[in-house]
Amino acid sequence: MELKKILTELSSAKGVSGAEDEAAKLAFSYIKKYTDDCEIKNGNVIASFGERKDGVPHILLDAHIDQIGLIVTYITDDGFLQVGSCGGIDRRLLLAQKVLIHGKEAVAGVICSIPPHLAKSGDEEKVPEFSEIYIDIGMSKAQAEEIISLGDKITFCGEAKELLGNKITGVALDDRAGVTALLYTAELLSGIKTPCSYTILFSTQEEIGERGAQIAAYEINPDIAVAVDVSFAMSAGEEPEKCGIMGKGGMIGISPSLSFELSEKLKDVAAECNIPYQLEIMGGLTSTNADRFSVTRAGVPSVTLSIPLRYMHTPVEIVDISDVEAVGRLLAEWLKREGI
Amino acid sequence: MLRALCTLNGISGRENSVREYIISQIKNYCSYETDRMGNLICFKKGQKTPSEKVMVAAHMDEVGMMVTYIGGDGSLSVTSVGGVDPRVAAGRQVTVGEKNIPGVLGSRAIHNLSAEERKKAPSFEGLKVDIGAMSKEEAEEAVSLGDPVYFLPEFESLGDSLVMGKALDDRAGCAIMIKLIKSELLYDTVFVFTVQEEIGTRGAAAAAYSVNPDIAFVLETTTAADIPSASGAERVCEVGKGAVVSYMDRGAIYDKKLYDLAFALGTQLDIPVQTKTMVAGGNDARAIHVSRGGVRTLAISAPCRYLHSPCCVLSKEDVKCCETLLRELLTAVHEN
Repeated sequence: MELKKILTELSSAKGVSGAEDEAAKLAFSYIKKYTDDCEIKNGNVIASFGERKDGVPHILLDAHIDQIGLIVTYITDDGFLQVGSCGGIDRRLLLAQKVLIHGKEAVAGVICSIPPHLAKSGDEEKVPEFSEIYIDIGMSKAQAEEIISLGDKITFCGEAKELLGNKITGVALDDRAGVTALLYTAELLSGIKTPCSYTILFSTQEEIGERGAQIAAYEINPDIAVAVDVSFAMSAGEEPEKCGIMGKGGMIGISPSLSFELSEKLKDVAAECNIPYQLEIMGGLTSTNADRFSVTRAGVPSVTLSIPLRYMHTPVEIVDISDVEAVGRLLAEWLKREGI
Repeated sequence: MLRALCTLNGISGRENSVREYIISQIKNYCSYETDRMGNLICFKKGQKTPSEKVMVAAHMDEVGMMVTYIGGDGSLSVTSVGGVDPRVAAGRQVTVGEKNIPGVLGSRAIHNLSAEERKKAPSFEGLKVDIGAMSKEEAEEAVSLGDPVYFLPEFESLGDSLVMGKALDDRAGCAIMIKLIKSELLYDTVFVFTVQEEIGTRGAAAAAYSVNPDIAFVLETTTAADIPSASGAERVCEVGKGAVVSYMDRGAIYDKKLYDLAFALGTQLDIPVQTKTMVAGGNDARAIHVSRGGVRTLAISAPCRYLHSPCCVLSKEDVKCCETLLRELLTAVHEN
């Protein structure tokens, strides 16, 4: 399985929270190679494996399919677009960014900025408010309105590219890297009868409050849940105590909101199979779908397994493919052992 | 051709590939030489030799960055080459060095920023290029100090008549000069593709000295701020409203007779010409108009939004207006 190729393709598929269709369909086309029991329900991609049996746990493996982006809120008389945010957007990076507006067709645009030649003293320190953000699409209002409607979603540009040492940069690696890892798990388990049954979920609307995961987990009703997401990787300017290290394996979550037993189990399997891992210690909630899973129905023991990622929520996120691989393998090895 | 020119890399002092491309385009249409600084000076024969020597200039270099330090963690520190606002650099893909090593200008995750930090724009001191290297040694295998750093050439159409890309400043001017060199001209003209404009119009100073013209025209792009957040005079000039001819900027007060001639030709020949509503910016005219004993100089610019960013935007129609206006001026200056 060519993980780089899959991650690159997933990175370029659009799927801003609430409009995940394109990315979800692409992920569905991959996962359906491994099971007939799969569907897209309320936007969520749900793929089930194995038969549920009493006394054997049903495990939910999740990665979110949505990405952060912008949403069109107004078209000015001059044909410029005003926008709101879908998910945690860093306004410091918006000026002169190239974007794609997903109207009836995809339209290229650039976020307006004032060049340094015209800057007033102190301007270079300023971070624009959303009300000051305009997108230039080179169209009149009438032209714009033929293609673009209020509510259309906007993605950042940046074709995924290989960097040195097995790394990939691109947009939406949060959490297409997680989706890729789970596709790898499915690949590794293909043809293998695991003792437990499991569901792979690619969930919607994580970035605006884990809403897709909430309804899917209710539906799936698992005994154990794992949120495979990304977490901070150490890079220039970050604090080491908040970060994992790229290339050192998946980050197993330890938190009061997670199941300590599950964290231990993943550590044990990793050690047994010689799969690199690191720990991610969180003092409360995890800001991942695990926060929903752990309180689904009467409560589901949950854990997080995160891929270290640099520059989260920027158009230039970076992951190390070896970490994606390590996460996929660790989950596969665990599923081979769980429920015996 | 504009696409090809804007796709080339050439920060100030590293204009080689741009110059090579231009030579490949013009070599059969004029005689040319490259001077010691790297300026490409082209002598275009016209039907007549005028009594006053005219020089036309456009610069080949673009703004960008340069590697100044390789950290122990493999990250690259950079300095800007020319005026780059770090706010339009952070969070972009770049390429480093002649081998075009891909990298990114990373930015800390917003989740880890304090409320104060979220309101503070990035600075070059904090900006690092990440090429994926995890150690100094790994980075040093791929890049060296002094390597140029470029934005990606995301050349693209915007709507019906606009184009977006890096380095439109001033490859748009270069494109016009190439077209004029390839065409028939009435009068002999010297065309100079200059170097190092972005770090202080240095190439133009040397070229103007060598060429020793009586009259000079500078082909440029200039700051249009015709966006919703700017109003009145702050808009400076407008995309789609034709060639920009300004009376004064931060580098020069332009020759009044040439200025009037440009507007007269515009009216007479129905070429849209506008001026700027702010004294701002500067270009090669800064050096040329005070060369030797002084040179009568005029700048003709295509209005360009988001100048010095990876996504400059201008109108192909405006570029055409600049070309038409200059072509007319190259005859009219000798006959009026």
